[in-house]
Amino acid sequence: MIRKERGLRWRMSMRRRLMMAAAVIAASGIGVAIGHPYTPASNSAVLGSVPAGARHAEVNSRLMARERIDVALPLAQLYIRQARGTGDLRFLGYAEAMLDNWIGPTSTSAEALVLHATVLQSRHDFSQALDVLHRALALKPDDAQAWLTVATVLRVLGRYDEAQRACDEVSRRAEPDVAELCRQGLRGLTGQLASAYAEIERISAHEMPDAERAWRDSELGEMAVRLGDDAAAEHWFRNGLHSSPDDFYMRAAYADLLLREHRPREVLALLQGKESLEPLLLRIAIAQKALRDPGLEDSRARLSAAFAAEAQRGDGVHRREESRFLLEIQNDPGAALGAAAANWQVQREVEDVLVFVHAADAAGVPEAAAPARKFAREHAIEDVRMDPRT
Amino acid sequence: MSRPLLAILVLLACSCASAHISSNGFLTLKATASQVSGSLELAIRDAELAVGLDSNGDGYVTWGEAQAHQAQLTAYVRDRLTLSASGSLCEVSFGALQVNARVDGNYLRLPFTATCSAALRDLSVDYRLLQDIDPSHRGLMTLGAWGETQTGVLTPGRVGLTFSLGRPRPLRAFAEYLSIGEWHIWSGVDHLLFLLSLLLPAVLRRRGGQWEAAPIARPALVNILKVVTAFTLAHSITLSLAAFNVVHLPSRLTESIIAASIIVAALNNIFPRVTEGRWRIAFAFGLLHGFGFASVLAEMGLPSGARLVSLVAFNLGVEIGQLAVVLAVMPLAYSLRATAFYRHTVMRWGSSAIAALAFVWLVQRATA
Repeated sequence: MIRKERGLRWRMSMRRRLMMAAAVIAASGIGVAIGHPYTPASNSAVLGSVPAGARHAEVNSRLMARERIDVALPLAQLYIRQARGTGDLRFLGYAEAMLDNWIGPTSTSAEALVLHATVLQSRHDFSQALDVLHRALALKPDDAQAWLTVATVLRVLGRYDEAQRACDEVSRRAEPDVAELCRQGLRGLTGQLASAYAEIERISAHEMPDAERAWRDSELGEMAVRLGDDAAAEHWFRNGLHSSPDDFYMRAAYADLLLREHRPREVLALLQGKESLEPLLLRIAIAQKALRDPGLEDSRARLSAAFAAEAQRGDGVHRREESRFLLEIQNDPGAALGAAAANWQVQREVEDVLVFVHAADAAGVPEAAAPARKFAREHAIEDVRMDPRT
Repeated sequence: MSRPLLAILVLLACSCASAHISSNGFLTLKATASQVSGSLELAIRDAELAVGLDSNGDGYVTWGEAQAHQAQLTAYVRDRLTLSASGSLCEVSFGALQVNARVDGNYLRLPFTATCSAALRDLSVDYRLLQDIDPSHRGLMTLGAWGETQTGVLTPGRVGLTFSLGRPRPLRAFAEYLSIGEWHIWSGVDHLLFLLSLLLPAVLRRRGGQWEAAPIARPALVNILKVVTAFTLAHSITLSLAAFNVVHLPSRLTESIIAASIIVAALNNIFPRVTEGRWRIAFAFGLLHGFGFASVLAEMGLPSGARLVSLVAFNLGVEIGQLAVVLAVMPLAYSLRATAFYRHTVMRWGSSAIAALAFVWLVQRATA
């Protein structure tokens, strides 16, 4: 499953930061609501919703819960699950607060460390996640969860041989379906796409839990895209979204397929109400641009502001999206290439190869993406979206 | 391995990057010589966690619920956010709550001004909001001072940051205080009303107990020039004296006399006593208006190293704002001067309205 955007810290140059700020100001000047404080006219105006698990009344019990490992860990797990399900990064922060006491240098809880690694991985801090996972495995070498997470992180980093060995460790300790998904996903990236696709299709989805089924469907969908079978891909994405409607990553992949097929109206329908998720807002903006929809200016301002805030925080979880934003919305290939190159330092999935190559071509310096082309060649990554030169 | 356990296993392995942006508090500051103005913006979600906004527990936060918790919110922020200059705490006062729409939803915006006793050479920020609940919360700070913008990130691992503000270049201080002066005259309606009351009859002349139109432009122009110049000269003198601490008057006294001066000027249009030498009124009361301007400057302070330049710029800003109003109003007054509407309605009822408003101010200011 090709799921991962990006990671490491990449300091923006001051000039770029100022340009970004100027973009925000320019964009917000065009009559959009972003960045203009106001006083609501009515007391009954609804400003926002409070999701379950994020109410002030629960704060005291949270503070007590984190003192007891038997309560803190399940709660952390719950928050991580909520972050996954809704795409809401704040829940990762709540999970971190639960784990804080149990992950210090003297920690003896492999479970706490694996949860911590999951949080780090979600923040694209992959190298630290691997360190923490190795600490967990030193405490508990048989931890299937730890091995599966290791495999996932290594795959995102493009270290396929090591990832395959981690999948083998998983297969000795977990159910065969999971290990098979782990292994075939990697085979599909290393020159055996068609047969890996067939193997995964053979795994019965019958009786699979939703999360596992979503993994299978999105893996199949993305493999079909790379094989050039968009009709099959659409089938898998629709299937997957039917059972896991909150899987925003799969939704984004489906939106990309629709955009490639020039079906922007369907993109807007697919992503309606999902504007608060940056990767989805990016696809909305691209569709709006194709349709000359006046809503584009608002989306543009929102995305600029979000990327600027990420850059200031220093996390830049969405550098891959930022590169596409700069290229496809802002028509700034030079800046897009900078973001894509920074992204490449952090994660190496097929999408990252594509983003890097597209930005370099658009900027008129195709050789700038040589590392990505070399990577794709060496691993024999198959993808109809890549031009033959790759 | 059992099914439910497996579900968790897969869920945790899925490397999908989550998307909602992480929790940020936006701290925007602008520093002048001894004052910092700014705002803190907290997401509705974060404000709910901090103090609890959703009183009726329906899962939605309304503007009414947010406003009802303004006191708790300011108390929470006061406990966890401090500004200090050269080691001594600045005194923060909060304004009325607002809303700002950002990419991930609405934020509550808490404007404030901080008055620092020391001259602002450096500014230290200590930010500890939400860190016990969400260690990934960040304070994203932007500090503007003298045309330079600095940014910083406050984290649980680094709750404090100190910024050096440097000294403004004279040109920068000039531009800054020029705009403060302009802004002050626009928002300081009392100075404008005083001036207008004196200028309304400038396009007329008094004959046989009646107002009539001035026959040619020249005397009207001379009248206007005299009044404006006298007012400008007078308030410049006292503004300078007060800014350099030569003379000091209690602000309640000056504010009250300013209100009284408007009443005098307006009543003089209805029951004329001084008809030819109104510039004398402009000069006499202008001296007191200067102390009024000075109190604005005193709150902000003058930047060390550029005190004179800033004072001149502030004064010039006041003149520009004042001149803009005169240029906008007087040609209109001149063209209407022969009408009964101008000579009776505007002169009598307009002046009465001004006098009445000023009377309310006088009572408020004298008893405040």
